[in-house]
Amino acid sequence: MLAAHLPPLAASLFSLLAITSLLLAFVMLGSRWLREYMIAFAVQSWLIAVLSAAVAYYGGYPELYAIAALTALFRGLVLPYLLSRIIRRLEIDRELHERLSPSSSLVVGGLLVVFAFVVSTHLGAALGLAGTVAVLALTVMLSMKLIGFLMLVVRSEVVSQILAILVLENGIFLGSQILVPGMPMLLELVILFDLLVVVACFGVLVRYLLVHAGTSSTRELTRLTG
Amino acid sequence: MTRDILLQVAQVFTVLALAPLLQGVILQWEERVQRAQGPGIFQPYRDLWKLFHKQLVVPETASFIYWIAPVIAFTCMLTVPILIPVLTNFPLPLSDMGDILGGGLILTLGSFFIVLAGLDSGSAYGGIGSSRAVMLGILAEPTLILVFVGITLLAKSMLPFVVNHLLVAQPAVYWSPAHIFLLAAFFILLLVETDRLPIHSSTHIEVYMIEEARILEYSGPLLALLKWASAMKQFILYTIFCNVLLLPWALSVRGTAVGALGAAAALLLKFFLVAATVVVVETAQSRLRYYRYQEPLAASFLLSILAIVANQLR
Amino acid sequence: MSPAPILAVILLAPLAAVAGCLITRKARVCEYLNLTAAVIVFAAVLRLLPVALSGPYTLWDDYFIVDALGAWVMLSIAAVYLLASLYAIGYMRQLDKPSRLPRFYALLAGFALTMLLGPVMNNIGVYWIAIELTTLVSTFLVGFERTREGVEAAWKYIVVVSAGISLALLGIVFFYWAGSLHLGPSYNLTWAALRSVAPQLNPTIALAAFLLVFIGFGTKVGLAPMHTWLPDAHSEGPAPVSAMLSGALLNTAMIGIARFITVTDATHLGLMPRTIVVIIGALSLAIAALFITRQTEVKRLMAYSSVEHMGVMTLGLGFGGPLGVAGALYHMLNHSLNKSLMFFGAGDAMHAFHTKRIGRIRYVLTAMPVAGVLWIVGALAITGAPPFGLFLSELTIMRAGLAGPNAWAVFVMLVLLVVIFVGFLNHFRAMYFGENPAAQAAAGPWRRPPGTAFWCLLPMWLAIVPLLALGLWWPGAISHYFTVIASQLGGGLSR
Repeated sequence: MLAAHLPPLAASLFSLLAITSLLLAFVMLGSRWLREYMIAFAVQSWLIAVLSAAVAYYGGYPELYAIAALTALFRGLVLPYLLSRIIRRLEIDRELHERLSPSSSLVVGGLLVVFAFVVSTHLGAALGLAGTVAVLALTVMLSMKLIGFLMLVVRSEVVSQILAILVLENGIFLGSQILVPGMPMLLELVILFDLLVVVACFGVLVRYLLVHAGTSSTRELTRLTG
Repeated sequence: MTRDILLQVAQVFTVLALAPLLQGVILQWEERVQRAQGPGIFQPYRDLWKLFHKQLVVPETASFIYWIAPVIAFTCMLTVPILIPVLTNFPLPLSDMGDILGGGLILTLGSFFIVLAGLDSGSAYGGIGSSRAVMLGILAEPTLILVFVGITLLAKSMLPFVVNHLLVAQPAVYWSPAHIFLLAAFFILLLVETDRLPIHSSTHIEVYMIEEARILEYSGPLLALLKWASAMKQFILYTIFCNVLLLPWALSVRGTAVGALGAAAALLLKFFLVAATVVVVETAQSRLRYYRYQEPLAASFLLSILAIVANQLR
Repeated sequence: MSPAPILAVILLAPLAAVAGCLITRKARVCEYLNLTAAVIVFAAVLRLLPVALSGPYTLWDDYFIVDALGAWVMLSIAAVYLLASLYAIGYMRQLDKPSRLPRFYALLAGFALTMLLGPVMNNIGVYWIAIELTTLVSTFLVGFERTREGVEAAWKYIVVVSAGISLALLGIVFFYWAGSLHLGPSYNLTWAALRSVAPQLNPTIALAAFLLVFIGFGTKVGLAPMHTWLPDAHSEGPAPVSAMLSGALLNTAMIGIARFITVTDATHLGLMPRTIVVIIGALSLAIAALFITRQTEVKRLMAYSSVEHMGVMTLGLGFGGPLGVAGALYHMLNHSLNKSLMFFGAGDAMHAFHTKRIGRIRYVLTAMPVAGVLWIVGALAITGAPPFGLFLSELTIMRAGLAGPNAWAVFVMLVLLVVIFVGFLNHFRAMYFGENPAAQAAAGPWRRPPGTAFWCLLPMWLAIVPLLALGLWWPGAISHYFTVIASQLGGGLSR
């Protein structure tokens, strides 16, 4: 288990990276501008790449260096590029009708983090890992998960929804780097690739939405009910 | 023992004497940043002197609250310095009568009476100012409590001196994310409590005023007391921010006169540093309309939660 | 005989069809390419069934597994794929867009391929990816008609399912993590590995992981309250796609739940996971009952019926034991056949009446005499009326439930099945025998476009004959098959 024998500096580094990623999730939650979301997502991905590299260094998992590089490339560059193309095509640059104002969603997000905190503390205590970096990773992972779902609920622009799903994935990826660094490389690669395909599919669907539904906001998608 | 009592008196006196100076420096730098001349840094002293010599005009509708509010606010601000490390990094007599939470409570009591006074005067502006201040207070309070919780989790204690010692002794804790996020959260609270949010305007008498509206009906010595109390509150918050959280160094360790003097000088230096940051932040940040006041507070709330989360790693 | 060549055939046939469709780009060629692939897959799966019976085989670096359970699910997928490929020829020719047909068949074959991958995945992470891939491919099938509603359904489908399935990934990471505390940091998370380490897993984390996995794959299965995407996607896709979604796709996610239940059986969690499964199953039935009675669109009616039957299967798996597992799996095949038939009938009715609204479909028997009879017989069957297969399997599941600790659910199930029976058939009563002021009655028999009647009617006959056969007689070979599966699944919770 990686968490059990970490030098304090490494632990601090891990927690700083993890918490900053969480902070960036909040930046996305608290911002109205689509481009800001995208930049925050890119930075978050870079942080996760750094985290991968740090885990590789301190945990002795050399294959994670490759994962770090690929994360930075795919999540940090390619995905933001694809998203920025979608945003440019949309000719819309901010969320117009929030269901919840950014500051309220920040507070709700904060409460979700508290929930994640309680759950992960409980799980950590059950496993006898209280106070280790594993518990922190668990909190951040669950928090980003919940924040992603919150974003899905309160944001209606299609780009925001795509980003929300990417935040969900980033959360899992971040947590798995710390919790299960020994996960087979193939799996991580396939998940990275999968994400790329997901975004490409979303891109095509966004085009369909624009052409056939004439909207880029899910508020307008109300035909199917009951 | 006598020396400790003297030091305690010196702590209170430092706050009393230097608070207007800090205010003056901030006001001047605000103007300087905007390429204006600005008032001299001793202007607040002259203002206070002038106000003390002016006639007192009392609204007809005012009750006894109008009279006691400035006195209570002033007294509160005199009490808090006893509890916190202003000059020394060890507890002085009576320092143990309250922890950080106690200090916060006394500060809030002072604000509460000013709110009452604003309502009591019966003028429209007083009411508006009080309601705005209460609204901000309601939102700031939970965050403040969360910050205290974060500090408690960090130091396993709520005594400011313990936190100070811990941060000095363990650089790992000082640089831990928990502490950094606490700093950020507290910094935003500092802006809120000292009226330096982007919703506050730099010219103080206008429609969106908060602090000024509450005391608009005051004049003469009572106004002087209120202004002084307000400057002291700012000074106290800066002290907590600097001496407990941000720069816990350069305090008198043994309690000698030289040490205390040096600590006072260091204090001013630290404050100028923070004040410069505050001024830059305030000027650089574009002004928001009043009804976005909750956004910085939400950010602060969030940062304190992140600090608590980061505390999981011990 | 080694299952490897058979499995290779099963996976390569649709792959070749995809490639062929993309290369030739001729609508007629693609139709038959896809059909050929479907026939080959079906034949190969039939050949695989007896092979799989002789124990789980792991192939190709442990990434593939061939066991009786997987083969059975593949049978239902292959059957639906074959039926849908037949029907698609007739159905898609009636759409006026021949230029887009090659892409349709490429997607259809690709969809079948991803679904066939799911049951044979031995590594749980790779299984997750297979499930995710099914979503990505089928999204474009759902939105294929490019109507406003179709695109809306596709969007809701991909967003809801991607978000839901990411919870399953989280659960898998949890399982991996919990296992890594005992198996070391790097190991291959196969079903067998997880089951063997299960008794040592910490119960708290195992429960959290199971809940996440169950919610995640439950979203894909369409269990309430995560079913919201299902009626949209099923109602807006072309009819053969709806049949594939309902009859095959849901099963590929169901097999994951079945396998995870065997894992939790081995942990020290007692009855709790099974009770949760049973509660969600019953809830799905309840939600489906409510929406079926008040439904106004014919394909949404079928979609909610899918929610219902997924609930029934979940109940069967939750009850467990040899009977519960047998009932659930028997139900799976019966439902696949029957629901395909129902969607084919609905597709015909949509073409005949140019509407999806139940209120505008009247005198079905006049308009489409043969398909109409087949459709209403299918409707009787899908509500669980004897002598069809679903009656038998539902009865089996109820028997299993009564023997177990969650017997209350049997009574809930019984009441809700009666409600659904009445509600569902009431819509058919209205469509077949109801009075209608509109002029539809005068229209007389609907004339199918030339060259489509055979392709539309053949799959309906092919679905209903085995359905009746399976209802009248539970073959001994199948019983034996289920016994083997139940023993491999651990025979339920040891009490």
